[in-house]
Amino acid sequence: MSETITKPVSPPASRDPAPRNRQKLSLRQKLSIADVRYSPYLFISPFFILFAITGLFPLLFTAYISLFDWELLDDTGKFIGLENYATLLGDDQFWNALVNTVSIFLLSSVPQVIIAVLLAALLNTNLRASTGWRVGVLVPYVASLVAVGIIFGNLFGVQYGLVNSVLETFGLDRINWQNDRLASHVAIAVMVNWRWTGYNTLIVLAAMQAIPRDLIEAAVVDGANAVRRFVSIVLPLLRPTLIFVIITSTIGGLQIFTEPRLFTELPGSSNGGAENQFQTVTLYMYQSGFQYQDLGYASAIAWALFLVIIVFALINFLLTRRIASSGEADR
Amino acid sequence: MTAVTLLGRRTPASRGRRGLTFGDRRARFWVYGLLIAFLLGSAFPLYWSFLVASRDTSILTEHVPPLLPGGNFFANAARVFDTVPFWKALGNSVIVGGVVTLTTVFFSTLAGFAFAKLRFRGRDGLFLFVVATLAVPTQLGIIPLYIAMSDLGWTGTLWAAMVPNLVTAIGVFWMRQYTAQVVPYELIEAARVDGCSMIRVYWHVCLPAVRPAAAFLAMFTFMTSWNDFMWPLIVLNADNPTVQVALEKLQAGYYVDYSLVLAGTTLATIPILIILILLGRQIVAGIMHGAVKG
Amino acid sequence: MRQQLQRAFFGAIALVTACSLSGCGGDEGAGGSGGTTSSGPVELTLSTFGEFGYEDLIKEYMAQHSNITIKHDKVGQGGPYHEALLTKLAGGSGAADVSALEEGHLSDVLSKPQLFNNLEQIGPKDVNKERWLDWKYDAAKAKDGTLIGYGTDIGPLAMCYRKDLLQAAGMPFEPEAVKPLFATWDSYFAAGDQYVAKTGKAWFDSDSQIFNAMQNQLKVGYIDKEDKLVIESNPDIKKNFDKVTAAGGRGQTAKLAAFSNEWNSGFKTGAFATKTCPGWMLGVIKEQSGPELSGKWAVTDAFPDGGGNWGGSYLTVPKQSKHPKEAAELAAWLTAPEQQIKAFKAKGTFPSQVKALEAGELLSATNPYFGGVKDGELFAKMARKVGPAQYKGPGDGQIQENAMSPALQAVEQGKSAAEGWQQAVDAAKRIAK
Repeated sequence: MSETITKPVSPPASRDPAPRNRQKLSLRQKLSIADVRYSPYLFISPFFILFAITGLFPLLFTAYISLFDWELLDDTGKFIGLENYATLLGDDQFWNALVNTVSIFLLSSVPQVIIAVLLAALLNTNLRASTGWRVGVLVPYVASLVAVGIIFGNLFGVQYGLVNSVLETFGLDRINWQNDRLASHVAIAVMVNWRWTGYNTLIVLAAMQAIPRDLIEAAVVDGANAVRRFVSIVLPLLRPTLIFVIITSTIGGLQIFTEPRLFTELPGSSNGGAENQFQTVTLYMYQSGFQYQDLGYASAIAWALFLVIIVFALINFLLTRRIASSGEADR
Repeated sequence: MTAVTLLGRRTPASRGRRGLTFGDRRARFWVYGLLIAFLLGSAFPLYWSFLVASRDTSILTEHVPPLLPGGNFFANAARVFDTVPFWKALGNSVIVGGVVTLTTVFFSTLAGFAFAKLRFRGRDGLFLFVVATLAVPTQLGIIPLYIAMSDLGWTGTLWAAMVPNLVTAIGVFWMRQYTAQVVPYELIEAARVDGCSMIRVYWHVCLPAVRPAAAFLAMFTFMTSWNDFMWPLIVLNADNPTVQVALEKLQAGYYVDYSLVLAGTTLATIPILIILILLGRQIVAGIMHGAVKG
Repeated sequence: MRQQLQRAFFGAIALVTACSLSGCGGDEGAGGSGGTTSSGPVELTLSTFGEFGYEDLIKEYMAQHSNITIKHDKVGQGGPYHEALLTKLAGGSGAADVSALEEGHLSDVLSKPQLFNNLEQIGPKDVNKERWLDWKYDAAKAKDGTLIGYGTDIGPLAMCYRKDLLQAAGMPFEPEAVKPLFATWDSYFAAGDQYVAKTGKAWFDSDSQIFNAMQNQLKVGYIDKEDKLVIESNPDIKKNFDKVTAAGGRGQTAKLAAFSNEWNSGFKTGAFATKTCPGWMLGVIKEQSGPELSGKWAVTDAFPDGGGNWGGSYLTVPKQSKHPKEAAELAAWLTAPEQQIKAFKAKGTFPSQVKALEAGELLSATNPYFGGVKDGELFAKMARKVGPAQYKGPGDGQIQENAMSPALQAVEQGKSAAEGWQQAVDAAKRIAK
């Protein structure tokens, strides 16, 4: 991601090559050099200090535990090296969960990002009541999970659900949203997209708001049409933000947990359906850790998922760079 | 159209003509049509919660819900107030959400500025590290975090609910990307030449420019904190809950009275909608866009 | 796990921040406040979920014991409650002095008796086994003899059925007359065939609801006393599985997973004619079916092949408690017959104490929705029919919930019984490993 940085601010001292007589510098200059040199660390340190406790400590904990045969309620575990990881490679349920996860991820993240960019473009036009629209797209995230669970349960209910009733009215067959593997993935993806598209839309909108208006006006003068303006000016300028959206959608999509858990017929179940047909990796991890109490194994699942996510994130990062690279004229 | 103003402060007349524009009425019609459709889909569950809360649970089993609210909302809301310490919980949620939002936005913009625009040893490595930590799922972290909070003696206090959320890696990632996009180096250099210290550059140059992103981060952080349930349930006591923890008690018993539950969630949504509206206004073009070209 | 983690935690802090937080660090004073000796003022915490009916009792207890204050933490649903409880047990602090534990979660903790105080040792001497129904008391005993909890309430099973639907199918329908239908599982499934043939509608809600009841009647469950998985070596389990899936295959199951949205709707639409029915289920049926079906549901004091239990809880005193003796006294007092009868009157929790089952208030209770039946007396009778406690080895509850029930559901959705059985066995092996 660092490629996007083209001209970091360098200390003024470097522009003024090698001041030989340091003692001749005024106090003010010295302070200024110190300011440039140490401020960055000062700026990131509050984050890192707090993050050490709340983010890193749990991470190191899971990494450590993953090397043990450690039950949730035990005082101590037995060191077994990489055995949990070896077991994982031969675990059908893990591979099944991984396939489900990738399937739901593709069905959700891809349309989500595309719709988000288009919707942001619409919201970026001259609209009446613009605040209303912005708040509106974020509203799904406000709705309580209780309500979301009931509503999607009612929508995708197999026997009494609204979607199936509509399908029947049009003479189509009912779809078994719970038990058909692909259908359940589609239903969950709909739920995910419903909850998260507005979030991504606002991110992209915030970035679009920052595009200098005169750039676009210049293009209008040059006679570029709206689509061309969008592709060749707006998208490249959005690159850092698009990288953010795509990387975080990849991470969030592959860690998907809440939606499949809400979607299941059995309240509170982490099983992902009768045949684990929509159990995701994080659901399996949760089930292993908190229900089967195999904390070591669950931690290994967490880190295995980490590796998978890194691979996907890298691929997507490279793709994004290609898609939106034309804007880096100044490189 | 007025010309681009030098200071970048938008004049009232320029307000309407930014971003992509489209002229003819048909396009306008489609844009509003699409947005309205999207908005209806987005808002439906919220409205539907209110429908159930204002009628009774029986509409849950009807295929096509009624379109208009009934008259039971205030009765159901009164039952919520009788059952849970709603105002206290609301106050706690505002405190927790407010503190968490302030710290997250402040520390994220600060670190994001440093990562995006300043040069220092280990910068790229540290930043990649922050992003990479996002890729580890967090559900298992609840146990070590709990142990940490209880060792610090904070369980049972609002501190325990706040501390794990004071900063987020995703906030830093977001602010770094946005700052990289919108804050021109020329502006920073100019401020330095004028004798601004780094912290003043952050405050007077960076922060105003990243306002839309910071507003979004604030909205999202507040909402996430507001809707958080499992963590505050574990670390807080019943007599000092947050809103979600308090509302969960409405689901006691083998049979759940959804009109009561959803009356509670509807009430809890009102403050958050107000915050969204306040912050949503901030997602507008930053103030310095006329100042630098390209 | 706590000590190791403490070291790791403070090590990590020291590494990264050097000093800024050490001021808050070192002390061990996590968690509870309150007195240290039994004579001084003591603050006890009590955590429950759902409705235990203890609110007035707590006031009464505090009035009787001036040195004790009780803080009552109530969570609505059992799911999040037990998740929080497990986190606190794993974390080594923060669990309430008296923590409720649901019967279905017993097998999650019964193999870790070191986490709980043995109530037979620290509890009041005059509280003993005779207070409770045998099976209720025995179920909370770990293999090493530790009694981890005092029983609170139970969910003895009876049969609920739709009077009007049976009548329309030309079958017996009065509570006395239907008893032969519900005498054994064979007669139950035979009656189901008859009902399906007449109406084309389902007899029960789901395979797993029936199977679970049958499974709990077995002498040995999924796991034997040596903590070995016996799902394959205990032929009764497979026999029950085949019986249920065969009946389901003949159209007796409505394929509605318990507590799902569609199951809720199924009560109104009459999707199934009978329901295995613990005492607390009467309230669920009433609310889900709505006033239109008042008097159409009935309950009878019969259950195939004896009896059974679904639900009910215990009060435990975790080792973390700083006041184990006072906590045990409170738990003992709350679970005394006199108190549980008051809880029954307050919230309908059905008592597990022998004396409470003979109390006039319980025996005279009636239920107008179910045609004015004397439900207190009926369920007291069914409570005594429950067989000896089945040993619940580690993972038993998980196998029921995450291996067997999903497999039965898969069969309902079209998997063959043989494949479904294999699925259950594979999943059970993974859980028990």
